[in-house]
Amino acid sequence: MMTFCGSGIKVPRKPVEKVIRCLLAACAFVAVLTTVGIVLSVVFEALHFFHKVPLSDFVLGLKWSPQTAIRVDQVGSSGAFGAVPVFAGTLMIAMIAMLVSVPLGLMSAIFLSEYATRRFRAVVKPLLEILAGIPTVVYGFFAALTVAPMLRGLGRFLGLDIASESALVAGLVMGVMIIPFISSIADDVINAVPQSLREGSYGLGATHSETIRKVVLPAALPGIVSGILLAVSRAVGETMIVVMAAGLSANLTANPLEAVTTVTVQIVTLLVGDQEFDSAKTLAAFALGLLLFIVTLILNIVALQIVKKYREQYD
Amino acid sequence: MNMMLKKQFYENTATESKLPDADGIRQTVGEPFLENSRISCREIDVFYGQKAAINKVSLDIGSNEVIAMIGPSGCGKSTFLRCLNRMNDTIDSCRVTGSILLDGEDINRTDVDVVLLRARVGMVFQKPNPFPKSIWENVAYGPKIHGLAPKKNDLDEIVETSLRRAGLWDEVKDRLDELGIGLSGGQQQRLCIARTIAVSPEVILMDEPCSALDPIATAKIEDLISGLREKFTIIIVTHSMQQASRISQRTAYFHLGNLVEVSTTRQLFTNPRHQLTEDYITGRFG
Amino acid sequence: MTEKKKYNLHSVTDRVHSGLSRRYRAEKCFRRFGVCAIGLSLFFLVILFADIMHKGLPAFLQTQIKLAVFFDPELLPLENLETADFNALLKSSCRALFPGVKGRRSKKSLYKLVSDGAAYELRKQVLRNHKLIGTTQDLWLIADDELDMLMKGNIARNPTGRFNQQQLYWIEKLEQDGRLRRRFNLTFFTSGDSRDPELSGILGALSGTVLTLLITLMFSFPIGIGAAIYLEEFLKKGRFSDFLEVNINNLAAVPSIIFGLLGLGIFINFFGLPRSAPLVGGLVLTLMTLPTIIISSRAAIKAVPPSIREAALGLGASPVQVVFHHVLPLALPGMLTGTIIGMARALGETAPLLMIGMVAFIVDIPKSFNSAATVLPVQIYLWADSPERAFTERTSAAIIVLLVFLVLMNASAVYLRRKFERRW
Ligand SMILES: Nc1ncnc2c1ncn2[C@@H]1O[C@H](COP(=O)(O)OP(=O)(O)OP(=O)(O)O)[C@@H](O)[C@H]1O
Ligand SMILES: [Mg+2]
Repeated sequence: MMTFCGSGIKVPRKPVEKVIRCLLAACAFVAVLTTVGIVLSVVFEALHFFHKVPLSDFVLGLKWSPQTAIRVDQVGSSGAFGAVPVFAGTLMIAMIAMLVSVPLGLMSAIFLSEYATRRFRAVVKPLLEILAGIPTVVYGFFAALTVAPMLRGLGRFLGLDIASESALVAGLVMGVMIIPFISSIADDVINAVPQSLREGSYGLGATHSETIRKVVLPAALPGIVSGILLAVSRAVGETMIVVMAAGLSANLTANPLEAVTTVTVQIVTLLVGDQEFDSAKTLAAFALGLLLFIVTLILNIVALQIVKKYREQYD
Repeated sequence: MNMMLKKQFYENTATESKLPDADGIRQTVGEPFLENSRISCREIDVFYGQKAAINKVSLDIGSNEVIAMIGPSGCGKSTFLRCLNRMNDTIDSCRVTGSILLDGEDINRTDVDVVLLRARVGMVFQKPNPFPKSIWENVAYGPKIHGLAPKKNDLDEIVETSLRRAGLWDEVKDRLDELGIGLSGGQQQRLCIARTIAVSPEVILMDEPCSALDPIATAKIEDLISGLREKFTIIIVTHSMQQASRISQRTAYFHLGNLVEVSTTRQLFTNPRHQLTEDYITGRFG
Repeated sequence: MTEKKKYNLHSVTDRVHSGLSRRYRAEKCFRRFGVCAIGLSLFFLVILFADIMHKGLPAFLQTQIKLAVFFDPELLPLENLETADFNALLKSSCRALFPGVKGRRSKKSLYKLVSDGAAYELRKQVLRNHKLIGTTQDLWLIADDELDMLMKGNIARNPTGRFNQQQLYWIEKLEQDGRLRRRFNLTFFTSGDSRDPELSGILGALSGTVLTLLITLMFSFPIGIGAAIYLEEFLKKGRFSDFLEVNINNLAAVPSIIFGLLGLGIFINFFGLPRSAPLVGGLVLTLMTLPTIIISSRAAIKAVPPSIREAALGLGASPVQVVFHHVLPLALPGMLTGTIIGMARALGETAPLLMIGMVAFIVDIPKSFNSAATVLPVQIYLWADSPERAFTERTSAAIIVLLVFLVLMNASAVYLRRKFERRW
């Protein structure tokens, strides 16, 4: 069969090519293995944890103090693993971040894509993107050492008592970090809105802002919503800012001026330093990790699905 | 009918002398000027960047007339139409010079309010472009932003009359809450017409409103245009000469950015005065 | 036609006209919102940079103090120089500067002006050059971090603060005698971490970063490109390719800390790789950056026009040859750009490395992929936690160094993209 090909050079080519193809396939399979690895590493330890602490206690419990005692006779040696305050803290900080980043990011994108001259856009857009390229540890440092004292001072001036590790500080700085994320997604979807819709609105005598608010934004809404979902998933999974600027102890409160803790902060504090394996404390970190993975996965899948639908609508 | 027209053209060609030279394009032949004009354009030039799209077009448009613009693709019909409500403002590279008087007022001046102008001069586009909103919202959009109807009842009334005039009411009256995009192409186009007339403009610009429609929908829209004529001035771009001859009183022929000939529709199709016009309507042109 | 009566032409124009000023105000307002949003975002950016520069730039200078050191042969027995008491040498030099100082307490507060590291410096000099013994030398030695802070104006010059009246007097005297100066802070670039701020540096963290990123590059570049080639050129579109696609897109959005958990659970606990090692850190970062590299490499391959493939296939090349001889060279700049961007992300990543124990206090400069190490962002995290004012300064300086690296990487990515941007 090989001789039929005519040239002798081609004969040894076949097996080599097969090997190469297999290698390439293996590379692609690494992505799958990674997912499997994540699921395995997190799920196994989490299951261990749920043997020790019932799932219902974890999901519904209102008290979180995983610091198991060093000496047996100490009080509270068992630790409490009710994760509700941790979720609440995470949500609060993510929400503050969204309150900062959605209006700022969206309005920036609208201004850049609808009002700004080409020159202005060419200068400002990369500048905004710098915000996205700054490592989160830098934001954490900025939050803890600059923003927190500043807000505290401001609070004192206004007669408010702002904790130095308040949810407000972490949320605010996280919001700044997410601005370019929101604005670049919003920019894309706003530009994808067909020009004919804008012209239809102008043709009826709408002003620029009426066109944007009543035609462009509603048309871009699915894309913007999915961008916001992705941003929420980022905010929830963000670690360094909250580790450095948010609190350590769980605190069930609705007051953004108080210190709260988050899922990622707890994972870090539970796992950094000496850990005895198989203690509920260590395993709790993996349970939180599993939860974080599931939540972000759902947010991502929903967001990607919305984007897909949206693309189909305008293609 | 088509055959009959064509026959007449050939008969005329033999007897009348035409302006065959290229320079002749610069001078519009026929009757571009009117006594009592609603809109009068003088020496309009339009440039996209460095490229000229329209050269020195002068044309009067009377009230309550339907005037059709015809010409080969890319000759500047849409560009001219978009000058009349300053739609070209939305294109950065586009520059318009010359004077366009609407009721004696130059709309091309920078201090003219384009919002008000566009409320008075409405536009229907080549491709139906309903907003991603409900049918009701689509029609109510214009009156709402302009504050034409303070009460919801008034709005409902405007929506109903507009849809009725656009001949769409019976088809959509039970599903006003559904998305405008869910309608068929012809229905969408009529929705866009309803949306335009809901603002009660004085002039309506239509850029090939029937290009995407089947003959039945086209006939409906043509009826609609004839009905609208008593109240509005209508300027319509069309590629269908039959359509032009059915609905318009006057017809203007554009060629490579020049207004070559303006005559009564009858005259233009039966007895064109310019060689280029004749070439075009007889199908000899590219 | 009731409509005609109600909305005759005149009244429409009038009504529109009457609403115009309100609508233009709304327009202006909306526009102003946009300007404010951009202004505010840029304001944050400026504040962030200004704050870090303001805090960090002084750290590149360090205060030194000039002492006349008498290398006392009694204190420096030639037979065991290595273990000689260089601290005593330093102390006697300090006392020589202010002979009037009496009492343990006062002496102690005098010694405090010089860094503990100065004794090591003396030791180094003596070991290098035995001839120094018996001579008196004017030497510039590292000052204590608190004195450094005072000189930089970060600590108030009044006796209520860190320094007492006596110390402030000494400092003033030293200044008058020209015995204090500020010089480029070489220590910051040549030493590892330390408990003493004035002796700490980023070299350890930098070499940890280099080792870690080497591992990351070594794995993520070939694997990422291989995966992209397979997905674009060999895999048939279908369920499986959709599954892979969704998988990769989701991995790109998984929080980085989860990759840390993966590293801890699989690489360390299951495979038993060493904790705190650049090897594990690099592997974790590989998995984290892989989706980014795959996605951008696929885009680069997609940009190669099919005509090139068809031409090569027409000449009798096999699909594998087509890819490696024709498609890959054309797509390589795009792939490199994506890889650089992925590496820049890995460079700034902290959270997953905390999980695998790269947070230890490590004085020695790591030399191998298995030695305990930390990386620059983690060093920043560690220093940010330290209470000393001088560490705040060094944290900011380390951030500046990190940002310089990031800027360089991103700039080279932009340069590559510009240079090889092709229009087919
Ligand atoms: N936005 C634009 N930018 C640059 N040039 C343009 C733009 N719009 C139109 N043109 C150019 O202006 C000329 C006239 O275009 P116009 O759209 O007015 O033609 P038309 O007569 O409407 O053609 P059609 O019948 O195909 O719609 C064309 O040569 C076209 O290329
Ligand atoms: Mg056109």
